[in-house]
Amino acid sequence: MGDLTKVTVDFETSHLVFPTIIACVLTLLGIVIVIRDRRRIAASGTYWAEVLGKMDKVRFFGTIALTLVYFSLMVPVGNIWPNTGMGFLLCSIPFVFLSGVLFLHDRDIRSILTIGVVAVVSPTLVWWLFTDLFFLTLP
Amino acid sequence: MEFLAFITPLFLSLVVAGTLVGIVFGAIPGMTATMAVAVCLPLTYPLGLENGLALLLGLYVGGISGGLVPAILLNIPGTPSSITTTFDGYPMTQRGEGERALKIGIVSSLVGGLVSLGILFLFAPVLADFAIRFSYVEKFLIILFALSVMGALSNNMLIGVFSGFLGIFISLIGTYDISDGGNGKHRLIPPGLEYWLESGFSLLPVLIALFGLTAILYEAEIGIPRGLSRDQVKIGDSSRFSFSVFRGQIVNLIRSSGIGTFVGILPGVGGSAASILSYTSAKTFSKHPERFGKGEPAGIIASESGNNGLTGGALVPLLSLGIPGDSTTALLIGAFTLQGIQVGPLFIGNNPDTWNAMIFAMMIANVAMFVMMFFAIRYVALIVTVPKHILFPVILMMCVIGAYTINYGIMFDVWTLAIFGLFGWIALHMRIEIAPFIIGFILGPSAEVYFVKSIESFGDLSVFVTKSWIAVVLWVLIIGSIAMSALISRMARDSRESLAAGASDPV
Amino acid sequence: MTFTRRLVLAVVGATALTATSFAATAQELPRNVRLVIGSTSTGGDTYQNSAIVAGALSEKLGINIKVDAVGATEAFKALERDSRGTTLMIFHDQSYLGNLYGVQGYEDPFASYKIGPTVAINPGNAYLVPKGSKYGSMEDILAAAEAGEKVRVAIQPGGVSEIGFSAMKNAAKLRSPGSEENIVAVNTGSQSDKNQAMWDDLADVINGSIQANEQFTQLPEDDRKAMEFVWITARPATLEQAPAQGMGDTTRDEMLQYASPQTSVPLMEGEDFTFDKEFFFLYNLEMDDAIVEQIDTALAEIFEEGEIQNRQKEAFFIPNFLPSDEARAHLEAKRDTYRNVIAEITTN
Repeated sequence: MGDLTKVTVDFETSHLVFPTIIACVLTLLGIVIVIRDRRRIAASGTYWAEVLGKMDKVRFFGTIALTLVYFSLMVPVGNIWPNTGMGFLLCSIPFVFLSGVLFLHDRDIRSILTIGVVAVVSPTLVWWLFTDLFFLTLP
Repeated sequence: MEFLAFITPLFLSLVVAGTLVGIVFGAIPGMTATMAVAVCLPLTYPLGLENGLALLLGLYVGGISGGLVPAILLNIPGTPSSITTTFDGYPMTQRGEGERALKIGIVSSLVGGLVSLGILFLFAPVLADFAIRFSYVEKFLIILFALSVMGALSNNMLIGVFSGFLGIFISLIGTYDISDGGNGKHRLIPPGLEYWLESGFSLLPVLIALFGLTAILYEAEIGIPRGLSRDQVKIGDSSRFSFSVFRGQIVNLIRSSGIGTFVGILPGVGGSAASILSYTSAKTFSKHPERFGKGEPAGIIASESGNNGLTGGALVPLLSLGIPGDSTTALLIGAFTLQGIQVGPLFIGNNPDTWNAMIFAMMIANVAMFVMMFFAIRYVALIVTVPKHILFPVILMMCVIGAYTINYGIMFDVWTLAIFGLFGWIALHMRIEIAPFIIGFILGPSAEVYFVKSIESFGDLSVFVTKSWIAVVLWVLIIGSIAMSALISRMARDSRESLAAGASDPV
Repeated sequence: MTFTRRLVLAVVGATALTATSFAATAQELPRNVRLVIGSTSTGGDTYQNSAIVAGALSEKLGINIKVDAVGATEAFKALERDSRGTTLMIFHDQSYLGNLYGVQGYEDPFASYKIGPTVAINPGNAYLVPKGSKYGSMEDILAAAEAGEKVRVAIQPGGVSEIGFSAMKNAAKLRSPGSEENIVAVNTGSQSDKNQAMWDDLADVINGSIQANEQFTQLPEDDRKAMEFVWITARPATLEQAPAQGMGDTTRDEMLQYASPQTSVPLMEGEDFTFDKEFFFLYNLEMDDAIVEQIDTALAEIFEEGEIQNRQKEAFFIPNFLPSDEARAHLEAKRDTYRNVIAEITTN
């Protein structure tokens, strides 16, 4: 084959070669999709309004909020007793309990008690397994 | 039979215990065989070489196999290599055939494991010599072949391919890693986020977020509907597993095991590529490619025999070149050096006892895996009847552990979980397709290194065709796979159009 | 909502109080220590070394030490966040070489961290050629460069793997200024990539190690995988401490032939370049000096007892304990030498 296929890559800038190619392909595909599906895309505002309207807002946003709080507290709490995995244990128990209650439909005492037991037992078991037995680091 | 002197009760119980622990690790989303081996590695020093290896190989086989359980039952791949198991396994669970799907997976795993073990035992040195003929060029083409499944996995070809490339794009965020041969420079990091993103997003947190967290968010959106009750899960005659499922699948089994083994042999191509490639080939050669992704047993067979085929394959370069075939076998090197044993081209000849012990341990591990899983699985399958308000919080917690521990304690991996959980939920509504996305994400980094290094070394694009006959064969496969995807997509469109003309789909 | 927030505040407040009262008495290592390492591999030499040291240290002090293979960038971050001694780090010469080569994510470790004691050396860093290559020795390679022949060397850029390559260029320049241009890098990644580069005939010389490549040197010449050593970068004094039987079928005496002074890669007139990969502790800059002291003393006792040396030698490491102060001075001097080498070959 001729010189047409000759390419040189400078090592110093080689980290940009592949991302550039992929970005070009993505843009190309994106344009084709926008042209082909323009009507649907125009209607996407209504679609999202519909999604938000129909969703179970308490459970959906509750899940997100609980998860974010859970993730944010783990490290600060764990820092009080460094390298013991306490941050994980102490945050997981309320998280499992609260999200369990959030997901529950008929909130009777029996079900809540079950969740309570699971919320205490499962994080404790997992915590013991991973920190003591397998010697892994938890927050 | 002096050479069997290493078989002691301790040796056998270590294999079995290792397999059990491995299955548990594999079955927990986010915990991998690699991690199981890593946490047990320090235990092997006092055990001595043969016994230590017995434990580690048990963990390896168990860990790879355990991944199919959450993949099939919860749609969360327990390990990256069981990603393709979710495509057909979970639809079967939704039909109430979880137990049957699991058993198909387990039998396939056993076959994959034993076939690859046989190949390892008989042909290790020959195969290693063949594997080193794969330069950057051929490795890139292998990855390209695996990527070509993207189209076939999409509901809508164009959007599927777009999603796949998006996956590749996002996988490139961070540093062009020096240890892969890159120049260590940052790219695609939004300004101000260097501190967080310089190492990019790790695969495993992304994987469990897109499969685990996204599903939970979606369920929360629709108000956590009640799950399958015990009656709906078919146990008993209606879903009884029978070996007749494998009728007509022998070729698929052998081919997938072989592909898994061979991908394992190629250093650096990576474990997840094994099952993706087996799945791609199974679909390409199937008489009913349109059934894949909707609960087709052949898909599970391909995926699981492929990823267990890896176990024997990855040991080939380790034991005949001293080069690990995947991340788990990289740890086994540690076990050898701890005992002062060198691995390299002379290993098998110099240490025949250790070699025999390893083969034997792998065999026992495969059988133990099969026995334990096959007979315990009907109880495990009932996990889908656990009420969601208990199951989901516990899954979330396990995902956090998996994400945090996968890189030995990095909090950003947990945040990755949150970011991609939300991304997955938005993507779901925007019709971005998760399966091709994740395949792009898994294979993106290797595609980059092999592609860029090929050009860097040879300075000529034509090398991709002219390098060797292997390259030509790979091109034939790639073109075949793409043609097949196009064909399937056309068939699907025709049948859709004949079904409902003009039903408006939201974006 | 306010209820939970108040509760959280109260809990955090109360525990913070108890924590500070702990801190007031804590002038020594806490009960649970995390030892991060600069490598992500739990099968590699950094991990093994750290595991040996962590085991001995935790036994000596009666505390728990977990080794976490988080990799260089994450390890440095973890170290920066924590000055209480709950996070320590072990790494090797890469920590300053990365900085010298300007790799992103590497700051000057002597300015950003406290340098702790050294614990061991991995003497294995080596360069190899295909068996039967026209370059049978370093002398051949330097002569070829002088004669205007391009010699391609496969390395992983930006650190330990590159420093020997830089030294070759420096030696070429000493021998015949300008000839260093003929020693060119083939930038690859892992050891398997480097081997593959040789087998694909993309490189004439590769960086490797005694441990990973020794068996390839025992293969017959007609095997395309066969290699031979041309240079082992370790100091002769280091290699002499290795077990006499050496590694595999290569005895210590054979190894010494490939090392200085028998194989000479000059650093300057009358002095050879050498490189030992040394493992040492790094601490947070603010960490209490009492803890530094405690670790130094504990390690001194451990090495005094002599048990750890056996473990290290079994895994082909050379025991190398220097207390913090000496370690720092030694490593800084070493860094300065290499800085000059790199400066020498980049400024023309």
